[in-house]
Amino acid sequence: MTDPSRAAGPQTAGHPADPLAPSAITRMLRHVRLIRAGKVPWVAGGMLLLLVFCALFADLIMPWDPTALNLGKALKPPIWQDGSVSGHLLGTDNLGRDILSRIIQGAQVTLEVGLYAIVLSGGIGALMGMLSAYFGGVVDAVIMRLVDIQMSIPSIALALVLAAALSPGMSTVIVVIVLSYWTWYARIVRGEVLSLRERDFVKLARVAGCSTPVILWRHILPNVVNTLLVLASLQLGSVIIFEATLSFLGLGVQSPQMSWGLMLNDARPYMTRAWWPITLPGIAIMIVCLAANVFGDWMRDTLDPKRRQL
Amino acid sequence: MKKFACAVAGAASLLLCAGTQAAEPATGSLTIAQAAESTMLDVTRAAAGVDWYILGNINEQLLQPDPTLEVKNWLAEKWELTEVDGLPVIEIWLRKGVKFHHGGELTSSDMAFAHKRLANPDVSKWPHYQAKVDHIEIIDDHHFKIIFKEPDGTFIPGAGLMRLYGISEAYYTSHSEEEIQQRPDGTGPWKLVDRKVKEEFVLEAHDDYWNQEHRPGVKNLTIKIIPEDITRVAALQTGAVDWIDAVPPAMIEDVKKMDGIATTARPSGNNLFMSLPQYLDKLPGRNDNPFKDVRVRRAAALAVDMEGIIEHVLFGQAQRYTTTTPGSAAYDASVEPYPYDPQKAKQLMTEAGYANGFDVNCYNLITPREPNVKEYGEAFYAYLGQVGIRCKLIGEEYAPWLARNNRSREPQNDGILTHMWGHGVVADPGTPWSGHMHCYAPGEGWGSYSHYCDPEMDAMVKEQATVMDPADRIPLLKRIGKKKYEDVAGGITTYVPLVTFAWREDKVDYKPWPWMGFWRKLQEIGIKH
Amino acid sequence: MLNYLIKRILQGVISIIGASAIIFAISRLDDPTLLLLPIDATPEMVENLRQRLGLDLPIVQQYLIFLGNALQGDFGNSYRWEQPALQLILDRLPATLELAFAGLVFALALAIPFGVLSAVYRDSWFDNFAKLFAMLGQAMPNFWVGLLLILFVSVNLGWLPAFGREGFDSLIMPAIALGWYPVAAMTRMLRSTMLDVLDSDHVRMARAIGVPNRVVVWKYALRNAAVPLVTMLGIYFANMLSGAFVVEVIFAWPGMGRMVVEAMFARDFPLLQVGVLFSAILFVVVNLLVDLSYGVLDPRIRHD
Repeated sequence: MTDPSRAAGPQTAGHPADPLAPSAITRMLRHVRLIRAGKVPWVAGGMLLLLVFCALFADLIMPWDPTALNLGKALKPPIWQDGSVSGHLLGTDNLGRDILSRIIQGAQVTLEVGLYAIVLSGGIGALMGMLSAYFGGVVDAVIMRLVDIQMSIPSIALALVLAAALSPGMSTVIVVIVLSYWTWYARIVRGEVLSLRERDFVKLARVAGCSTPVILWRHILPNVVNTLLVLASLQLGSVIIFEATLSFLGLGVQSPQMSWGLMLNDARPYMTRAWWPITLPGIAIMIVCLAANVFGDWMRDTLDPKRRQL
Repeated sequence: MKKFACAVAGAASLLLCAGTQAAEPATGSLTIAQAAESTMLDVTRAAAGVDWYILGNINEQLLQPDPTLEVKNWLAEKWELTEVDGLPVIEIWLRKGVKFHHGGELTSSDMAFAHKRLANPDVSKWPHYQAKVDHIEIIDDHHFKIIFKEPDGTFIPGAGLMRLYGISEAYYTSHSEEEIQQRPDGTGPWKLVDRKVKEEFVLEAHDDYWNQEHRPGVKNLTIKIIPEDITRVAALQTGAVDWIDAVPPAMIEDVKKMDGIATTARPSGNNLFMSLPQYLDKLPGRNDNPFKDVRVRRAAALAVDMEGIIEHVLFGQAQRYTTTTPGSAAYDASVEPYPYDPQKAKQLMTEAGYANGFDVNCYNLITPREPNVKEYGEAFYAYLGQVGIRCKLIGEEYAPWLARNNRSREPQNDGILTHMWGHGVVADPGTPWSGHMHCYAPGEGWGSYSHYCDPEMDAMVKEQATVMDPADRIPLLKRIGKKKYEDVAGGITTYVPLVTFAWREDKVDYKPWPWMGFWRKLQEIGIKH
Repeated sequence: MLNYLIKRILQGVISIIGASAIIFAISRLDDPTLLLLPIDATPEMVENLRQRLGLDLPIVQQYLIFLGNALQGDFGNSYRWEQPALQLILDRLPATLELAFAGLVFALALAIPFGVLSAVYRDSWFDNFAKLFAMLGQAMPNFWVGLLLILFVSVNLGWLPAFGREGFDSLIMPAIALGWYPVAAMTRMLRSTMLDVLDSDHVRMARAIGVPNRVVVWKYALRNAAVPLVTMLGIYFANMLSGAFVVEVIFAWPGMGRMVVEAMFARDFPLLQVGVLFSAILFVVVNLLVDLSYGVLDPRIRHD
């Protein structure tokens, strides 16, 4: 049977993240046989490319210096509304900084945190999962108990303790995300490796005298790469939301660094005076998450169709 | 009957008599709201300023400022500073008829108990304020002497306000620490009768309150804790509460426009400044420290449009200040703040040999200990950049920020630091100046949060610490203030935050009272008739 | 069954002790004394306070003392409030449970019709709407949902109170913000299980013998399709308890989450420790109950 607590995956801000469960859209699409390998979700992929583009070339495409203050131009609305000032497409914040430029710069942080978090949690999780399954016994028991312990602490609660001890900041965010997600990779990779271990080519390699690291690296890892890619792409959306939540609470990225969650926090006191600073960064989060989730679903269906059933 | 009693008790003044007549026990109820919640309700164990929002209504000191900020004899009816064997002695005649909330009258032995308790580091957060007092000598129930082991400049009126609270020895010794802070005892105008953490404090007017002139005009006062700005304002607007504190700067205009709402703004008791790392020989990544040159420090002070920041970032909810603020012993109205003059600033930078500017770390406090403090810092540092003092902005949350401004902790400040306290608002600047204008001297208690070091200043700061007589002390403090201003010593003074109170005009009779600089004292709040 | 039960409980206990050690160790990385004393406190005062709080002992010894006291129900006093930390948390717990429960009710009230109807009217406009809703639910952080609700419903329309906990009105928006994500997840789950059930032989059979469609869908099919959802309810509930950390901050809800967040900013480690440990215990216990309820709800599953 499946243990439901396992199926729930890491919890991000109270979201039972079960990214492996196929979304309604994927299901629907599968039924009408639209998704096939090669049928790329162009819109979602395009949005993600735009994110990467913004992050890489932020300095070139930002219309204003995102940190430049102009107190005389504080809280000016977007260009389509009365009272706007020219040149500030999405308006300005409480210190007269350009919101569009800040959103573009925020993309950098979003992507940076996402990449670090995914690579590290995937790497650590995969290694732990492989070791656990390959060696079994005590190693397996210890690693799986660690997974249990880790999973019993809600991620936000863990973030609170870590932020108190380490001081909030981008590195704390990454540590929290990695700690929260490695268990998810470890469990799934462990499952895969448990069956791989019994396959003939692994047994043969062992008989042929290959060392353990060689077996893990040459024979087992290549067989879990697809799974890892799928997990990573499914993780992106929830990492973005998690980062935004931590930064919003003041546990994550700190000023003067910029992040969408932090922008939302800064905008709170001015909520009654201006709707745009509190809405637009949220829309950026929503669009990127939506794109990441659609893209992740597609990756899963393409690379690892059997996971649909999970 | 009352009149008769008055006349018989010949000692009572005419004023007291008239007062007694006016002071029928108050009736009725009011509900008000505060943004921040007091946690520790025991004058000896409380450390946070916010604790005094409630304690300031329950406990009283020997001396206290009145609404005009003039220090008045309070629990002390009279006092005298004398010298015995070369050491100071303060002789105090205690006011008679001061009643505790839970029974009993304030006597000298209660004050001696207060001193002992405040001096005991196991229960007190303030033993350093009693460190120079040797003991209290009781002469009779209402007459005692404070005997010093060495002079303590900041102990006297206008300074630490004698630093002794009237607390009941009988009550404190017969109740547990837990009970004391749940139901603190005191002599103040309000008695705490109930408390729900994160929700409310319920106060009751102290019917036997000694001060007949200044007392509450309502019997029951419920203080709701509403931390969210929008809700607190909405609660006032809908009439759920009749008085609020800390109107958020961004909403001041809206609140002033509301029907039937009166507002008033008062200095909050804090003061902000920007500490410059003058104490270092070298800044990180450089072979020198430009801030050692007074011209660079002045340039930094001239570079920032504080008026603009106050108007746009702080929504007018701030006052500039230079040496100290009005109400402080050392306040000097003749010293004007540095004007905004970027041309002059650039010229000074060039004269000092930094025409091309330089880079420096700038540590900005991002926890909203004061409204918009993060934004103020960002704006301030941005202005510095325009005259060539280029900030590498580093945001710091409150706890690590505290460690950075404390010299005994790592990491040390190696740049410009958003700073607060340190210039003695309302009270005396002696203690804060000892902390941040004297060179850091580990183990000696000097300069524990100082980023400034100058032998001449050290000598002056040391001197004020021993001068107790206000007649000598005040001129000395003004001399230090002048030098501080000219040398931009101990940082660039920026602003004193204002806190705005709003209340329903038709219902509430409210007169703001200061207390230790925290204007939440509800000495005179009542119902309009 | 009994063996399984004992094994799971043991695992739970190990998890909680492990979690307590981790939380304890991490929180000792920082020194809270500066925050507890006046800014001009002398080094002797700091040292005195460290001794009184037991922070001068080796960390292992500190932990053993903590563990020993904790087993007797004593989790130490909050630094800031100087009151028993456990009591402070327990006092706030009902508000948090109320909020999480309301969030769950909100999520179910939307997810059941959404899930069932979009399965029944597969590929209709309603199905598409439900799917879009589910996608959006997954892509919007709950704190932002809360902010938007405050902005539009409270500030612009003035319909509901923006903050606090006074009466049913003030519960509505926090519950929606908290239940937003589970709506999406539950809808998806229910829709897919409904599709499977509607495809199954015995539903076809029921239809064939002329049972009315309404009865087939809402009685037979939903009853079967709901089993996985019901078993997941506990998990959703536990997740909502941790989601409440953020939602409580936004809506100034006087619950446990907000108190723990404030404890973090005040470096009030005893309070922070109890709060976090408490949510870990809740999580483990709920998981255990869910696990065991599997066998009860679905007799096909047996724990061997």
